[in-house]
Amino acid sequence: MRSRVAATALVLLIGALAHAQDDIALRAMKDELKRSITELQLQQMDKPYFLAYRMDDINQTTVSALLGSLTEEQPSRIRMIGVEVRVGDYALDNSNYVSMRNFGGGGMFSSIRQATLDDNYQQIRSGFWLATDSQYKKALEDISAKRAALQMRQHTDDVPDFSKEPPTKQMEPPEKNQAGDELKTLARDISAVFKSAPEIYGSSVTIEYRNYYTRYINSEGSSFTRAQPLFKLQISARTQASDGLPISDSIELYGRTMADLPPKDVLISRTRAMADRILKLRAASSLEHYNGPVLFEGDAAGEVFAQQFATGLMAVRTPLSDDSRFEMFFNQMMSQMGGGSFVDKVGGRVLPEFLSVSDNPLLSDYKGARLLGSSKVDDDAVQTRETKLVEHGVLKTLLSTRDPVRSIPHSTGSRRGWGPAPSNLFVTSEKSLTTDELRKELLRRAKDRGLDYGIVVRRVGGGAAASFMKMATRMAQQNGQVSDSLAEVYKLYADGHEELVQGVEIAEMTPSTFKDVVAVGDTPVVFTDEFIPRVGAIFSMGLSASSNVPVTSCVVPSMLFEEVSLVKNQGPYPNLPISPSPLAKQ
Amino acid sequence: MNWLLKLCGVSLLLFPILVLDAQQTPSDPVLTAMQQELTRSLQNLKKAPVPPYFLSYQLTDNRSTSASASFGALTASSDRTSRLLDLDLRVGDYALDNTHPLREAGRSMNFSDQIERQKIPLENDSDALRVALWLETERKYRSAVQHLQQVKANVQVKVEAEDRSGDFSHEGAEKHFEPPAPFSFNKANWEQKVRNYTAPFALHKEIIENSAEVIGEVETRRYVNSDGSSIQISSPFYRIIISATAKADDGMVLPLHQTYMSFRPDGLPDDATVMKDVNSMVQTLLALVKAPLAEPYTGPAILSGRSSAVFFHEIFGHRVEGQRQKNEDEAQTFKKKVNQSVLPDFLSVYSDPTLKALGSTELVGYYPYDDEGVKAYRVTVVDKGILKNFLMSRAPIEGFDHSNGHGRRQQGYKVVARQSNLVVESSKKVSRSELKKLLIEQIKAANKPYGLFFDDIEGGFTFTQRVIPNAFNVRPTVVYRVYPDGREELVRGVDLIGTPLIAFSKIVAVDDQVSVFNGMCGAESGWVPVSASSPGLLVSQIEVQRKEKSQERAPLLPPPSGLQPK
Repeated sequence: MRSRVAATALVLLIGALAHAQDDIALRAMKDELKRSITELQLQQMDKPYFLAYRMDDINQTTVSALLGSLTEEQPSRIRMIGVEVRVGDYALDNSNYVSMRNFGGGGMFSSIRQATLDDNYQQIRSGFWLATDSQYKKALEDISAKRAALQMRQHTDDVPDFSKEPPTKQMEPPEKNQAGDELKTLARDISAVFKSAPEIYGSSVTIEYRNYYTRYINSEGSSFTRAQPLFKLQISARTQASDGLPISDSIELYGRTMADLPPKDVLISRTRAMADRILKLRAASSLEHYNGPVLFEGDAAGEVFAQQFATGLMAVRTPLSDDSRFEMFFNQMMSQMGGGSFVDKVGGRVLPEFLSVSDNPLLSDYKGARLLGSSKVDDDAVQTRETKLVEHGVLKTLLSTRDPVRSIPHSTGSRRGWGPAPSNLFVTSEKSLTTDELRKELLRRAKDRGLDYGIVVRRVGGGAAASFMKMATRMAQQNGQVSDSLAEVYKLYADGHEELVQGVEIAEMTPSTFKDVVAVGDTPVVFTDEFIPRVGAIFSMGLSASSNVPVTSCVVPSMLFEEVSLVKNQGPYPNLPISPSPLAKQ
Repeated sequence: MNWLLKLCGVSLLLFPILVLDAQQTPSDPVLTAMQQELTRSLQNLKKAPVPPYFLSYQLTDNRSTSASASFGALTASSDRTSRLLDLDLRVGDYALDNTHPLREAGRSMNFSDQIERQKIPLENDSDALRVALWLETERKYRSAVQHLQQVKANVQVKVEAEDRSGDFSHEGAEKHFEPPAPFSFNKANWEQKVRNYTAPFALHKEIIENSAEVIGEVETRRYVNSDGSSIQISSPFYRIIISATAKADDGMVLPLHQTYMSFRPDGLPDDATVMKDVNSMVQTLLALVKAPLAEPYTGPAILSGRSSAVFFHEIFGHRVEGQRQKNEDEAQTFKKKVNQSVLPDFLSVYSDPTLKALGSTELVGYYPYDDEGVKAYRVTVVDKGILKNFLMSRAPIEGFDHSNGHGRRQQGYKVVARQSNLVVESSKKVSRSELKKLLIEQIKAANKPYGLFFDDIEGGFTFTQRVIPNAFNVRPTVVYRVYPDGREELVRGVDLIGTPLIAFSKIVAVDDQVSVFNGMCGAESGWVPVSASSPGLLVSQIEVQRKEKSQERAPLLPPPSGLQPK
């Protein structure tokens, strides 16, 4: 048995090697990189000291359905290339510099471009040749502008611009495209559930399949190829209560293969349950305001942790600019967006003493549930490893890339997409309570406050989104079609019965709220979502961003907070429809 | 009595069905669902405090496949299927409704309209389609009511409008049905063709960019409105667009384009024809790179038929689009010129969307009904130099109460009056060589060292508004100097500029070589296919300026060497 496994592994390895051998694209990249690093120089100016080439083959299919009928079926195949050129040296180079001049011409994104889909050696080299040329010229302009900007100020920050990391090689073969007609059938069948619920106004089922294959090489001798297929299933529905309050909910699921998603009958029954809950919510009672203990159960704990706490775990550096007002504006914006990175909190207490947090890209499942953040190398070809972020409540370090910040001189192997991002986050506890004990504890604390009930949040939904992208989407949806409310909230009474509550929002929640976690459950669940970085990461992103949006899995136990402020959704609510749904035939 | 009435009703109903049966029953499930939901919505909304007076649904199905290549390698290949709803819901009345432009209101960025837009089922399930139509009707109704309030306030607080015509014209009901056209397109085949078409460009380092794109699509438009119109039209559309750009040593970028368009799958040229055109593009580009730089110049010039067609489309065609005579931001060049001379008396101009071809050349501005369900008509815009009419959508202007079937849009945009097939005709013409003789006479009379011959034009743009100078800029790609001795010399770097009324008054003669320019025209209602046809023109005075040029230094390293090492 063992020998067969070994033999299989050997075959796979040989397969991977064979693939790498005759990978025309990779060879074209290597040949052009070698030529550029040795020959590229404009007159007496700096030569590049570091070059990295990246190529993403992206096969994507998006399928959506409404009430059993497809609304979208969009297969696409593109190939993006990215070039990272550094001039100067590791201590001071052209990176980490934002020039107002770059905003006008879209210069920030000039490092990414589309390339030929054919494995045409000549044209692939040509693509990298032109991209390298324009990035090199931009790098020369940036470094001289940066040196000039530095001369104009008392320089206090002497953190190097680029960290030295040991080179790695990691080769994986591409994965076959898995998306077939079964995606369409699945979307149709799930979406048909809503046909029997005419009181649900809008609904949709969307399945995205992205198959990324990345090739990366750099001038330090690192190279990797990596396959990252991803399925994302999103089921959403919305309606309004009789007073117009928007009510919405959604189910989002991720997997590497179709088999990672629950089977169709389970998906359909979960969708039915969601539809039933939404209908119940229309008639549920509401809550004016509440200050007291709140239990985030199951998924809800993972959701608040991912949205409110995990976003601070990234090392984000304030970029240097030719306009010092930009740096002020940047720092203000960071703090308004719910606090910047925890970079000033390293060494301080951020959680209660019984909680620890680690990031581990090396594990691929948790008790049978797939973790989506797993990878052997990061986007800078740095070997990934476990990072202990919080130990006994104290912040030890942050997730970082090769763009160092004060007190974190090296990469943790966390470059994913635009900047650092968590892979798989684990919240562990030295003490835990069973679900029943947690509820009893909630009730006890509620009673101490003189409250008849405690609040249990079982699903958050979009309601607590503090990240920039989600906030922007919400601002754009001015008519309030999407609910800001928490998706699933209950009043838990002393006799153990629960009552569903509609239109509840979190009044305020910041990362420091998590210091007030008083107890956690004993059965953590996996919550997976796309990781939308804080706005700062957009400016401090690496020179050649990968276009892949990172997906992060969080393994988090239920969390009881000492105190959270909840308020009623104040509206304004949009008018109710004038006609009933055409599905509401007598 | 009762029974008799019923019988009458039934026989009346039967009659049209039988007639339609004879010409293929229009039993389209999508059209039926649209009709049912339109009727139901109107019934329900009638009870609302502000009921709509007009409602229309247009569903545009687009199935398209495209492939692009550059330097012999594939750059994109895609299949798209879309169904988009354009919904026009009007509250108020024909005289003043929610679509009335707000004056001096600034442009509001309407993100939410894009984000909240309901996706429309691609499949023909009646329930799903009707729910999508219902959701969009409710959404549009809410914003229409809100908008009408703003319109009423805006009308009160601003000065009285110069043009007091209403917001919407009364038009009759139209019925027209075409079954969905079949889609035939072999993608793999075309992927290889575009590779082949672009391979010759890779042999010349002067050519820095190039692309060949082929697009095959079938578009089916279904339209119903509360006037009782019901229209389904369906047509394939095939295009090849080849572009190549060379760079001269001084950094000047020199583009050339070649397009082929057809409504028939077999209407595109064969490979030999395309390759011949590609090779001549290469030769022209190489000649352009070495050609002397044109100097700013005013003087006589000949515009070839193709160049004249673009010239007329930009400078004349856009200025006779109806809404430009009404909107107070527009310069309204021709508003007060009806029944006055605007062109030399030997020229006539008409716009004819019902024309499928001119001679052997297809015209891509053909359509039987416009996007407001109005039957397309030939419109005589200029008769023997006298301005007679404008291109009209259902937005009336003073003195022109009705649409003439020129309300057009790209799916997802608001309809405005647009061009279709613009045809310039002359009652007085000379041969091409005669026209050149006349040019030389003009050169000598004006005491100029040379005249210009505009052989080809890539397109242009024109400003019709008041806030920026009312000017045009047409981008010629192939221009020759014509010397008094008849010698012709290719030059590069010419932009043709000027103001419209002066340009028209300088047309002195016309040749007998009519050419067609088929292209896509972009304006406020999106991209629509149009054509323009014109004979060559001799203009006594044109003005050219130097073209902008790139400041970017050429790549530092030479292109990567040829072949893959073994």
